[in-house]
Amino acid sequence: MSVKDFFENRAVISGIGQSAIGRTVDRAGFQLTLDAISAAVADAGLTVDDIDGLSMYPGGGVANLPGYSAGSLYEIADALNITTTWKQGVVEGLSLPFYGAAMAVACGQARHAVVWRTVKEGSAARQAGGRPAYGSTKPAAEGPMAWLLPVGMLSPVVQIAPFATRYMHEYGVTRDQLAWIPVTQRSHAALNPDAVYTKPLTVDDYLGGRMISSPISLFDCDVPCDGATAIVVSAADTAPDLRKPVRIEAMAGVVDGRPFWEQWEDMGRVGHGCARAMWDRTDLRPADVDVAQLYDGFTIECVWWLEAMGFCGPGEAGSFVDGGERIGLSGDLPLNTWGGQLSGGRLHAAFGHTAEAVRQVRGEAGGRQVPGAEVAAVTNVGGPEAGAALLTRF
Amino acid sequence: MSTPSADATTGIPPAVSEETRVFWDAAAEGRLVIERCTGCGAHGFPPRGICRACRGRAMEPAEITGPGTVYSYTVNYQRWLPDLEVPYAVVLVEFGQCPGVRVTGRLRGCPVEAVRVGMGVEIGFEPGPGGFAIPSFVAVGS
Repeated sequence: MSVKDFFENRAVISGIGQSAIGRTVDRAGFQLTLDAISAAVADAGLTVDDIDGLSMYPGGGVANLPGYSAGSLYEIADALNITTTWKQGVVEGLSLPFYGAAMAVACGQARHAVVWRTVKEGSAARQAGGRPAYGSTKPAAEGPMAWLLPVGMLSPVVQIAPFATRYMHEYGVTRDQLAWIPVTQRSHAALNPDAVYTKPLTVDDYLGGRMISSPISLFDCDVPCDGATAIVVSAADTAPDLRKPVRIEAMAGVVDGRPFWEQWEDMGRVGHGCARAMWDRTDLRPADVDVAQLYDGFTIECVWWLEAMGFCGPGEAGSFVDGGERIGLSGDLPLNTWGGQLSGGRLHAAFGHTAEAVRQVRGEAGGRQVPGAEVAAVTNVGGPEAGAALLTRF
Repeated sequence: MSTPSADATTGIPPAVSEETRVFWDAAAEGRLVIERCTGCGAHGFPPRGICRACRGRAMEPAEITGPGTVYSYTVNYQRWLPDLEVPYAVVLVEFGQCPGVRVTGRLRGCPVEAVRVGMGVEIGFEPGPGGFAIPSFVAVGS
């Protein structure tokens, strides 16, 4: 064993909490945020007075879509009536929900930091009569959006679809193979009382789903929802005060390509540099992973991470997931056991994935618990933003 | 035979910056203008006022006259805005003489289902949102 001294090992995830989650939840986003924070702090075995760090994604009131974010860090700080030693509103460079907070507690800027993400996109879509165009909250397409929105790449679906086109072109992977990702995840969602979609989904249902932006069809897209997720990150030396902390074994946030959807050089491969950097920080190997919570804004993002993380080789994800056995609850690599964003709900930016990874490693995932799970992989997005981590039992 | 393509004027116009004005002004004249480094000769896009190859700051406008090759694409069927005409193909186009440059635009001149990775396209523009001309590549042989 090599001797490691990585900052993430001086941080733990101590608590997770979620509000009610649904296609729509008839409650203000700010209240959902407070619900999630309260639950996460209690889950950690702490009280709100213990919290001295606050972080929100996205900070700064950024909203390219209606319902994309809710509230402000200052309003939450005021509502909780706490004094903080560290605050962070992240817009670009999140990497992973717990990345910045782990840095803060590892270097002593805070002891217990809470990070949250609140979405009201389900209500916003219902109000608008459909999923609106990305960027439709602004009159003109600024910065990187100027090259996407004016030519008709009006949604993340359209922006990411060329990755799927190129991937399938290079490797000959087919839609009826990749169907097993949403289909299997739906079967996991059926065991998650908080999932948005729980009705069984078949490969035929998948193939019959309408095309949105080829080759991405309806069931390849995550489901806009309402809900808040909060995560408490604590200094590892506070472990005796904590109910059931989870180790951050390793994490990385490397982006090894041009950070724009249309400019990414090699669209057949995404996340590989990030995963490599993460594996360089641990002695664990892909075969040691018991359960994987891989970002799935779209099916193709899951494909990137299956290959980048080394769970299968480049171009092999189609055969890896085919039939659903390997990625099912009793398979070699149970995938997105909460249903993922495709069925569990678009809690976004791997907040839902992180919460589930923590539950699994603690043995608290109820009817969808992977027996004896000790090592969970978590990844976020891929492309312009990327993060990969392993969480392990404390 | 050209195939009628979806009207592209419904949408969200670009916010033009000091760096990107030359691109949009040229687009209005039907020309595809990117950046070239006067030091090392490398081409760059989107325009940034710095060379990504040598980090030199002396960049000059350079016109690409094509043809290009489709690196990847999508055909969009979803009506993201109320009056958006669908379907339409969006193509990511690269140019053999300008390595590292990729420009995204609509595709005209063939049925949307005929778009393929590797197909040849000529440079073109068409009316887009807000009175801007947007890249609209034309299938070779149409």
